[in-house]
Amino acid sequence: MPDTVIDTYQDQMQQLKGSLPGWDGARDHALDRLRSVGLPTTRGEDWRYSDIKAIRNSAFGLMKTPARNPEVPEALLGVAARLVFINGRYHEGLSDLGDLWQAASVRPLANHLMANADRVSEMRQGGDGINLLNTALMRDGFVISIPAGIEIDDPIEIVHLTSDAEGTSAHIRHLVEMGEGASATVLERFVGDDTGYWLNSMLQARVTEGATLNHVRLQEEGANATHTATAMVSVGAGGNYHATNISLGGSLARFEARVRLLVDEANATVDGVALAGTGESHDMLVHIDHRMPNTTSDQIFRTVADARGKSSFQGKVTVATDAQHVNADQSFKALLLDRTAEANAKPELEIFADDVKCSHGATVGELDEKALFYLTSRGIDPTTARQMLVEAFTDEAFDRTGNDTLADAIRARVADWMINHTGRSND
Amino acid sequence: MLTVKDLHVSVDDKEIIKGLSLEIKPGEVHAIMGLNGAGKSTLANTIAGRDDYELTSGSIEFEGKDLMELEPHERVGEGLFLGFQYPVEIPGVSNLNFMRTAVNGVRNYKGEDEMSAAEFMKLVRAKASELKMDPDMLKRFVNVGFSGGEKKRNEMVQMAVLDPKLAVLDETDSGLDIDALKTVADGINAQRRDDTAILLITHYQRLLNYVQPDVVHVMIDGKIVKTGGPELAAELEEKGYAEVA
Repeated sequence: MPDTVIDTYQDQMQQLKGSLPGWDGARDHALDRLRSVGLPTTRGEDWRYSDIKAIRNSAFGLMKTPARNPEVPEALLGVAARLVFINGRYHEGLSDLGDLWQAASVRPLANHLMANADRVSEMRQGGDGINLLNTALMRDGFVISIPAGIEIDDPIEIVHLTSDAEGTSAHIRHLVEMGEGASATVLERFVGDDTGYWLNSMLQARVTEGATLNHVRLQEEGANATHTATAMVSVGAGGNYHATNISLGGSLARFEARVRLLVDEANATVDGVALAGTGESHDMLVHIDHRMPNTTSDQIFRTVADARGKSSFQGKVTVATDAQHVNADQSFKALLLDRTAEANAKPELEIFADDVKCSHGATVGELDEKALFYLTSRGIDPTTARQMLVEAFTDEAFDRTGNDTLADAIRARVADWMINHTGRSND
Repeated sequence: MLTVKDLHVSVDDKEIIKGLSLEIKPGEVHAIMGLNGAGKSTLANTIAGRDDYELTSGSIEFEGKDLMELEPHERVGEGLFLGFQYPVEIPGVSNLNFMRTAVNGVRNYKGEDEMSAAEFMKLVRAKASELKMDPDMLKRFVNVGFSGGEKKRNEMVQMAVLDPKLAVLDETDSGLDIDALKTVADGINAQRRDDTAILLITHYQRLLNYVQPDVVHVMIDGKIVKTGGPELAAELEEKGYAEVA
């Protein structure tokens, strides 16, 4: 990447110094690293399906608060709390912590860092250039700590709203800590207007013994947005991390989940749906690292791509030496609605233990013409018939969120997408 | 109700139907019998509007309308139903959702209000019960994991729910044991009224023991070579196609 770009980010970093207590050293360190590793290119395996030339070749400005507050979307369902971020900054007035603060600790990142100067180092994740830039330029986020044994039934909703942000970027960092036996659902939503912005989000989570974190991401960024997101998660004994990534918006969208199963019986379920509209690119990368015996993982991904749309999936599963009796399943299916649509699938299994059960499957296909004819031969119009088949196809990947209302809301989004993107495979 | 005139149909540039004419009036049950490869299924699929079947000449009129001008779902809206020889499995779509969307698709086409969920449930439960279908099968994915007989029974429930003017049943009797065959026959007989018509396409006489046709046609090599009353079916069974034709 050109020096001018990195110099610009260096200047932005200097401006941000002092905004998060105790974080300046981490910023300096990350920017130094970025100078040597650069931003990812399609030559590297992890980013081979997402070309972020635009980000590499010219620097994005620091995102500013919009002149007027954009309209906040309504909650999809009853929530335990609602945290609203406008253009990358937490907005207290639009947020509602409900009764959650009584049961759990929920506070902005700055407060957390202020009170826990000793815990700065654990947030200094390495990662690739995109993660490093997040560390260098992050200025806001939330820390959610659910104490041991506490179960929060309704989702904790985090809404990221971006508007009037042409040529600028925001870097957000959330931290989720699940105490022993605790359980909660974190629902992240991303919405934005049609300006060409870049939102770079990171969520770090620690799921301790017997805890469950249900992490649902509903990504509906604006049509010209770039969305990059990383979840870095560690799971303890008998703990369970369940991610469901629904990728519907943006011109380029990428979600990366890195999950380490650190102790016996830790489980990770990572599911995803991506609907790539005309000319869009949606990329999902999962790396599940089975460090210990008896750990399990399961992945179901379903993607749909329209004309010149591209959907990509990389699923990496590593099983360490001596991590016996690991069970890991992975299923990826892609549907192409047009001859010019593209799907990429790259399962990667690195297994160093000998007594494990690992499976993977990947298919790419078109809508089943026989099924379409069967539906239309019963009086169902072709548009509705296509919509039904696409819904049926994607359903499996968000069937396990454990929340019917949420699943219905996602289903409705998929249906809306189909109405706006009628398949042209029959032309 | 249905008028087919000098029909020629090609599939992949190969002529399958080679000048077929047929006239079906309200209240009538016709049976077309023929060996495999005679073009029976091609005829059924052409009437239903499958798009890889190319009509090269001739015409099909349904209640005075040119069927070829209508999309498959519009034909259903006009009152046509095709019972499939091989009903399609659709994972992820429940039978109930499928049938309700179908019923409302037809209602939308006719400019009628959609049927309420309660009204639809009442209708579909009644029809399933008449056709001895386990109500649990309504909740399952369309035809997924159904036996051959269950799939055909499901076709009959769909037909009963849609209540078509003309039902074209393509080998609905194939692969059925005797109990399933009787149930299917009951479904067909229930649909038989003065204002409806049925076209049975079949290989064997078996089904015709339970559904008495008014007219029997023998189809060989893309044409109807002989037409007669119900006795023609018995004659075919006894003497075989070669001798009768």
